[in-house]
Parts: sequence; C-alpha cells; structure tokens
Amino acid sequence: MFGFVQALFDGVLFGATYALIGIGFTLVFGVMRKINMAYAASSIGGAYIGLIALSLMPQVPAIAVFALAVLAGGALGCFVYVTCFHFIPLSNPRATLMSTIGMTLLIEEVIVHATNGAPRNYPAMFDDLMLEAAGFSFRGDLLLIFALSCVSMGILLVVLYRTSLGLATRAVSQQAVAAQLCGVRVGQVNALTFVIAGLLGGLAGALIGASVGTLSPLLVLPLTVKGLIVTVIGGLGSIPGAIIAGLAVGGFENVLQQWRGVTERDLYVMLLLFAFLVFRPGGIFAPKIGRD
Amino acid sequence: MDFVFGLLQIIGVHSLIGLSAYVVLLTGQITLAQAGFVAVGAYVAAMLTVLVGWPLMPALAVAALVAAFVAMTVGFPALRVKGLMLVIATLAFGEAVRLFFFNFDYQIAKGDVRVGPLGGEGFRQIRYFPENGWSTLEVMLFVWMFVALAIAVLWWIDRSRFGAVLRAVGEDELAAQASGINLTAVKVAAMTIGGGLAGLAGGLYAHYTTHIEHLSFNISLAIFAVAYPILGGTRSVFGTILAVVFVQGLLIEGLRFLGDWRNLLFGALIVLVMNVRPDGLLSLDAWRWAKKKTGAKHGAA
Amino acid sequence: MALLELNAVARHFGGVKAVDGLDLKVEQGAVFGLIGPNGSGKSTTVNLITGVYGLSAGSVQFDGQDISETPIHRRLGLGISRTFQNIRLFGRLTVWQNLWVAQNSQADQRRQRFLGRWLGGSRGAKSEIQPLLEFAGLAHKADELAANLAFGDQRKLELARALSSNPKLILLDEPAAGMNIEGIAELDQRIQAIKLRGTTVLLIEHHMELVMAVSDQIAVLNFGQKIAQGTPAQIQSDTLVKKAYLGGDEQ
Repeated sequence: MFGFVQALFDGVLFGATYALIGIGFTLVFGVMRKINMAYAASSIGGAYIGLIALSLMPQVPAIAVFALAVLAGGALGCFVYVTCFHFIPLSNPRATLMSTIGMTLLIEEVIVHATNGAPRNYPAMFDDLMLEAAGFSFRGDLLLIFALSCVSMGILLVVLYRTSLGLATRAVSQQAVAAQLCGVRVGQVNALTFVIAGLLGGLAGALIGASVGTLSPLLVLPLTVKGLIVTVIGGLGSIPGAIIAGLAVGGFENVLQQWRGVTERDLYVMLLLFAFLVFRPGGIFAPKIGRD
Repeated sequence: MDFVFGLLQIIGVHSLIGLSAYVVLLTGQITLAQAGFVAVGAYVAAMLTVLVGWPLMPALAVAALVAAFVAMTVGFPALRVKGLMLVIATLAFGEAVRLFFFNFDYQIAKGDVRVGPLGGEGFRQIRYFPENGWSTLEVMLFVWMFVALAIAVLWWIDRSRFGAVLRAVGEDELAAQASGINLTAVKVAAMTIGGGLAGLAGGLYAHYTTHIEHLSFNISLAIFAVAYPILGGTRSVFGTILAVVFVQGLLIEGLRFLGDWRNLLFGALIVLVMNVRPDGLLSLDAWRWAKKKTGAKHGAA
Repeated sequence: MALLELNAVARHFGGVKAVDGLDLKVEQGAVFGLIGPNGSGKSTTVNLITGVYGLSAGSVQFDGQDISETPIHRRLGLGISRTFQNIRLFGRLTVWQNLWVAQNSQADQRRQRFLGRWLGGSRGAKSEIQPLLEFAGLAHKADELAANLAFGDQRKLELARALSSNPKLILLDEPAAGMNIEGIAELDQRIQAIKLRGTTVLLIEHHMELVMAVSDQIAVLNFGQKIAQGTPAQIQSDTLVKKAYLGGDEQ
C-alpha cells in the first residue's frame, strides 16, 4: 500500500510534464480547431537542441540547457505552423492532420540522423536531493519539474487572461472571422499561439529528459500518444482539464507500473482513454470555447 | 527476380491495408486503428495454420472475419465521438492491440519444438508457404489475387447506392441524416469492412514474412495505412493503389541508395504533398482528365 | 386531427428562449406559411420538427404519433423531409447520386429487397429518379457534380432530393433566399405542384409576396412565440403583425 502511494506521488509530480504537453495540444486545438500532431516531436526536438549548449560549453549549468530548449521549442512551433498550417486551407482538416503526422516523422528522423540513433544524457537539477515528509520521499528533481511546470502554467494563464495577446487569442478561438473584422491579425495570432505552445513544449521536453536521465527519439511517438490521451481526457480545448488530466495520468500510470509492471502499464492507460471516450467523451471539462 | 516478387508482395499487402483505411475514409473518418486489425488478422491466421494445422484459405477467411468483428465492436463506442477524437480513439485502440500482443503468450509443443506467439519475441516459424512448396512468384500472385478481388468489390460498391451513401456521410452528416441515413450504422459498416480487409492483409503478411511481432504493427504502420488514401485521394480506389506504389516502390525501394535518409524523405514528402495538393495526388481534375482520355463513360458513378 | 401538431413546444439555449410555448397545427394537404422577423425562432422551429434540436419542453406529434424523441434519420422514414436555408447538397456526388441516397421512404423499403436496394446499380432506381430529375429540370445534368451546378439549379436539386422519399410533409427553409424574380415564379409553381401531389408543405420564408400567394394558412412568430395565425388576408390586416414587422420586409 505504502509503495502505491509513493508511486502515486512520484507519478503525479512527473505528470506535470504530461500536463504541459496536454496544454500545448489543447491550446492549438482551442484556437484553430486542429490538432498539431507534431507537438510532442517538436518538444523533444527542442530538448535536443538545448543539448547543443552543453556541447558548446561543457561546464554550462543545467538551467542554460533548459532555457535553450524552451527557446528552441518556440522556434520549432513557429516552423511547424508555417509548414503545416499556414498554407493549407482551413477547410481541409485532413490535410493539416496528415502534414503534422508527416512532420512528426520528419522531426524524429532528423533527431535519429543528428545523433546517430544513440540516446543522449540529459542534465538534471537537484537530482541528488531527497525530501522526506510523513514517511514518503520526494525526489528533488521531480519537485523541481512540478514547480517549473506550475510556474509556466501560471505564466500562460496570466498571458491568456491579462494581456492583449491573450485576449486576441481567445477572441480568435471563439470567432475567427469576427476577430478579423475587429482588426485582429488572425495569421499572426495563430503563429504566436504555436510559439507559446512551443515554448511550453520545449520546457516539457527538457524536464522529461531531466527526470528520465536520457533523451531518445523513441520517446516521440509514446509521448505523442500520451499527450493526446491527456488532452482528450481533460477535454479538447480546456486548459484546466489538461492540467488535471496530465497529473492524473501521470499518477495512474505510475501506480499501474508499480502494480503490473512496465510492459502492461501502457495497455491500462489506453483502456483508461477508452473508458473516458465511452462514458464521458467530452472529457473532464468540456470547454466553454465553442465555435461553429 | 525474387527481389521484385518480394517487393510486389509488400505492395500488395500494403494496398489491402490502404484500401481498408480508404473505405473508412469515405465516410469522413480518419482511422489510425487499421494496424491493430492487421495484427489481429496476422496472429489469428498464423495460429490457425501453425497451432491447429488448418489450410491457408480457411485460416485467412476466419482471420478476416475475426478482424471485422473486432472492428465492429470497437466501432460502436469509438464512433460516438467525432472527427479528431475518433483519430485519437483509433490510435489508442491500435496501440492497445499492439500492447496486448506484446504480452501475449500461447505456445504448444510440436514434436520437440515449442511454437506459437511468445510476447515480445513474437511469433516465429510461420512456415506454411515453405512447408507446402510455394515459390515467391506463387505467393506474390496469391496476394495480388486478393488485391484484385478487393479492388473489384470496392469498385462495385462505389457504383452502388451504398457507395453513394458512404460518400454522402463523408460529405455532410446533417444532410445525410435529413435524407434518412443512419450515420452510426453506415460508419460501423465501413469500419467493419475495413477491419475485414485489414485482417486479410495481416493473415497474408504473417505467412510471407514467417515471423511476426508486436512491433510490426506499430503506429508507423497505422500512419502508413491512412496516409495511402489521404495521399491518393478519395475520388477512386486507384488513388490509394497509386500512393502505395509510389511510397513503397519509389520511396522505400527506389531510393534505397539514399539509405537511412529515405524515412526522412517520407516525412518531408507528406508535408509537401499536403501543402501542394491537399485533396490528394489524384485530385478531382486529374481524375476527370484521366476518365476523358480513356473514354470511360460516367454512368451513374 | 392535424398532420403535424406542436404542443407548447419550447427550446432554450442557456438563458435564451429561442422558441417558447409554441402551439401549431398544420392540416394535411395545406401549404402552411411560417413568417416572422429575424430571430423570431423560425429556423429553430424547423430544427425542432426535424429533430436537429431536442425539445426543452412540449411535444411534437406527426400523423398521430409522438415523435419528440425520434432520431433525425428516422423522421424521414415517417414522412418528414426538409430543405436547408444554406443549401446542403452532397457536393462531390453527382445530381443522380444526390437523389439516389435520399430514397429511403417506407414505401421504398417495402418495395425493394434489402440487397437490391443497397447494392443495386443505378438502373434499378431509374424509374423513381427520372421523374424527379424532370421535375427539377435537371435531366440533362444527371452526371454533373452537385457542387458545379448554378445556384438556381442547386436549389432545385435540393428540393427534388427532399421530394425523392415521397414525404407526407416537406419543410422548406427559406427556399427563395438569393433568387431572382424568375426563380421565385418557378418556385411558386413548384410549390403548387407539390401541393397537387398531396404533400403538405410548411414554408418558412421572408419573401412576403411568395408566402401570401401560395399559403393557405400563415402563422407569425415573434420572440419565439406565435403572435397571429390566419389566412393571408387576415394576416395582412393584423395590427400585431404590422407592429412586429414595422411595415418592413416586403420584397
């Protein structure tokens, strides 16, 4: 029993990264009504680019790697927007879906080529730190991940609800044509949404690398699937939903791993998704944002 | 020559897989579950010939039926959700099937050897073709017999009212409902047919590769499955076949000299095609032009 | 007993009462006009009758049956069909196919065997579809894609599609929108022809001349409620109606 609760805590802390990925998916969906399948890939890609800082200056602190990963994530987000969304007519969702799938494969292959397929070590912070409380132990690096995720989610919410950019984003997500008529440059807002989501993604990728210890292109597809699951369970378009779902999936996954082992763990996560689709297809929070 | 026959086998099986996604795509649903149905068909067919000693044709028939049945039962809950949610649901299902077979052990002793699926190691020694003296050429023709049959059936459906109903559902669901069409029934029917085709493909695949494992049916295959009809366009089944030939023939084999860069090219190619030709390679204009050139009558198609 | 009865029907969207306490009786064989200013609930009423929206209150009776819970696609089998305000054709299907898919009335189902109906080639349905093509004046364009038709032809096709199931009641949702004078005159004739066949028509329209010319009864909606009902002459002289429209909306 004790082991399960410990696993739950660890899982929830790690689940904050899933929450970030889920937020990224849900943000783009909320604004453009489309899924950017390449999001997890560009997040991992951003994390890899962060490693370049390490290769340039081997003594550089981990925080610099993270910072570069964040920026790279944002840049990749913009790149994905231009190549997969900007030129494809909005009335053809199939084409954007397929192009982002293609982009996922492309990014994954570029990573494989650039690293010759070998996994790379990722710097962590506070990984030798262990906090004890009420008989449970909390890994320092997981606590940091959780804290950083919360801070970035907070910043995102401030941007969305307290700035004019955020206002424009929310306007576009609710009524794109009307927003245009009010002078909002929809193309720019969409691109910026991708950049913001990309920044979050780069951070998520870096944090995942830090907690797992290594980065590998094999992370891309499972992370894509998990991010989508989190988004769906949380409700497509709902940021609070993605947050709660991310933490929940992280916790659930870890407890199940403790109980049934790694090979069966993912199967149960799929079944969890299916249960939601059957009983609660709107997700935890069906979004208030609704365009027709 | 064996190499060419082997390539044609792959193109044949992938054509069936692409067609299985095509049928579902006609109703406007993008399915990433086809790899799962292929896996079901592969394991069922292989278990029937290896563990129970069945001849190939009945084994393939049962494999297709089981896969179709699974597709139908998955279809009902999955089709309660629309569009993007369905994509995610089918993706999750396909992965669930793969993970199931990753954990699936069922071995029996045959003589002094143990045969059957063994979790992560997969299912080896599916030796029906070698044991019965089939040449590579014969296997290739056998596969393409099914492909031709599938194309014929789908072509016929396309000229029938059911084909028009499938496409109507893909065009405008509200108008279809107002015209008396039961959306769920049509979508589940499409899913079931697709499942059967995929299962058949899986059974054929298992026997010509002689060794299957869960990784053979991963997300990559699911993506290929749906990429073919999207790249080829839904105007006609031949778009999908063309896409398979193009991707497998040109990209993967023809560019072999590019080595590992092929996969990278595939991803880039998809992005490019979707930007330049969002409706697929065989767009409406190209199709009508081709029809004019071959003097084919429009009829009621 | 009327063919179509709405009893205290209501539909709320959040706090907005799009339709509130609506009573309507449409007699068999009549052309019944439904008019009202923008936002008065006409389209919502059509959607409630066809099942696109669920009822917040009240009931809908059709041909003696309560159809309040019947799913959209089954209502066609019962004999209700409709056209859409924004034309909803199957753009990438041909004219012929558009008519073909809607052939699903109960009479058809009884007449043809299941397999024949679903898998049959076009020849089997020719006897039913050809008259429809001629009614719509589209016989020479049977193989044209619906999306390539001129606007007027698209409207005719949608009307023909709605008629292809031999409905007892057909709902026309602003069929005159965007039409020129000749088109409207043709529409007038077509509605008369439909009435002659014995089909009941519920016509939602803004075009006053057309409504007054073809309708046997007219109901006027405002703010989701019925404010008047009567013959065209009665409606034209009703003060409440005049107030609601402020004398405007005459084409």
